[in-house]
Amino acid sequence: MIASNRGVVVSCLLLVVFAALPFVNIGLEISTITEVFLIGIAAMSVNLLVGYTGINAFGNAAFFGLGAYGALLSIKYFHTDFVLSIVAGVALAFLGGVVLGPFLLRRRGIYFSLLTIALGQVFYFIAYRFTDVTGGEDGMTVIRPLVGFLNYKVDDHAFYYVSLAALALALGTFWIVVRSPFGKTLQAIRQNELRVRYLGLNTDRFIFVALIVSATLAGLGGTLFGLLLSNVSPLLLDWHQSGDFVLMTVIGGAGTIWGPMIGALIFVIGKDVLSSVTPLWQIYIGALFIACVLGFPKGILGSIFAAFEARRVVPPAPSSAAQAVVVEPHG
Amino acid sequence: MANLLEARGIEKHFGGVKAVNDVSISIEAGSIHAVIGPNGAGKTTFFNTLSGFYFPDAGTVTFDGHDVTKMINWKRIELGMSRTFQTPSIFPELSVYDNLLIGTQSQAKMAFRLAPPSATARNAMNARIDELLHFVNLTAFKDRPVAELSHGSQRLCEIAMSLAMQPKLVLLDEPMAGLAEAETERIVGVIRDLHDRLGLTVVFVEHNMRVVLGLAHRITVLDRGAMLAEGTPAEISANSVVREAYLGKEVIDHV
Repeated sequence: MIASNRGVVVSCLLLVVFAALPFVNIGLEISTITEVFLIGIAAMSVNLLVGYTGINAFGNAAFFGLGAYGALLSIKYFHTDFVLSIVAGVALAFLGGVVLGPFLLRRRGIYFSLLTIALGQVFYFIAYRFTDVTGGEDGMTVIRPLVGFLNYKVDDHAFYYVSLAALALALGTFWIVVRSPFGKTLQAIRQNELRVRYLGLNTDRFIFVALIVSATLAGLGGTLFGLLLSNVSPLLLDWHQSGDFVLMTVIGGAGTIWGPMIGALIFVIGKDVLSSVTPLWQIYIGALFIACVLGFPKGILGSIFAAFEARRVVPPAPSSAAQAVVVEPHG
Repeated sequence: MANLLEARGIEKHFGGVKAVNDVSISIEAGSIHAVIGPNGAGKTTFFNTLSGFYFPDAGTVTFDGHDVTKMINWKRIELGMSRTFQTPSIFPELSVYDNLLIGTQSQAKMAFRLAPPSATARNAMNARIDELLHFVNLTAFKDRPVAELSHGSQRLCEIAMSLAMQPKLVLLDEPMAGLAEAETERIVGVIRDLHDRLGLTVVFVEHNMRVVLGLAHRITVLDRGAMLAEGTPAEISANSVVREAYLGKEVIDHV
């Protein structure tokens, strides 16, 4: 569950492999792989809440969409360059987390999930209704801006590396959070929030920070996603999109660092490949989700890790009789 | 000696039911105090109003000079209160060590940090955890998932977790419930140690009469949400109201 040092080495190797991918023909458009990275970052942001903190967030598309809208609105109205539009998108998502956090903290369990959906939909309807500003149902299309101070045009090839850097940043953030005392407390909250409170900790404060980190990560993915397509529509903010992020997390493996990326890969490639073969591609993804929930509740990566754990030789536990007998050395 | 915990006129209703009706208690610092009563007497409900699990509908709770009647649970812990639950409240997927680490980090004011603890801080926390493990005699199980432990050992782990916060008062909700004889003995030994070796004040809810009479300095008897009697074990076992209403004659005679 907690990233080991070996996990970090494997992660770094994977990033190196990704860096080499554009030079090898693996039969996928470079923009498709970029999409996997960006959707994957958003799924990771859900994983921080669902897989680690144990709160089921069904509204992260709001932050994903806020990032995308933030970037494109800043381009449309303030003519920001590439870098500044990224800053604008991520900042808007961060602010979204700060503003929504106190409302979300008031409930737990199913009511928390319903609140995330409801508050997320608020942004969907704002984008949908404020046609003058947001383009309404049609959304907005912009021309991807240059990097201002270099006068550099970010083509799809360069954009791939920007996204890879964002992925590395997201993984690094995740790694630091999960291994920190803060992250361990989040995992304790997932297992037993009441006990954490009875250890003198204000769990609201922890969940609030987790929400903000999650919103910012989702915003990072969304910002770049909007810039990749140079287009946004309210669908990015919709709760269906939030649901997809949760599905990716569960299919890939909630509570594992790479699980959501695997889920994103299956979703994006599935959509890309399967949709050209059959219009019923969503049925297959749905079947996979059902199979995961019923057969592999830990998801693909979680199940693989569990299988490895089980194969490791475990020293036999002292029997419960032995536990009951050792009572002496109290004096 | 001064009273560490004092509750006056506590009432708690659920709908029309008065689960706790005008109960008062004074816990002297450094004492072991038992709250007993038959099932449904309101013991746990009363206990929950003391620990902030929920707030009383009437009455006041004073802890160590602070009015804590409506104080949120985690703030009471900072003041030096701690509690365990009837069903051990632990982190089932974590090892015994990690279970203790969460509270130890909290006590060291490190739980909110993103930076890993320094070597010095980590050593101090490890030493503290070893001390706690030794106190409840779970050192051999340090790296085991806590879910693998017996029920009694999980109770001990939970007691050690609450000790990580270096409390002044330990509230134990039915610490012996559902345990075999040998495990009950272990818990009794640990409760004695909490008092004798650590000098802590202990309040526990129990219905095993034999254990209560042998262990507590003072006993409060509840029945149907109200106070029936309070006194020393000798007074309680001699009290005819208590004997008739709840205890059953032969139980006392055997002790």
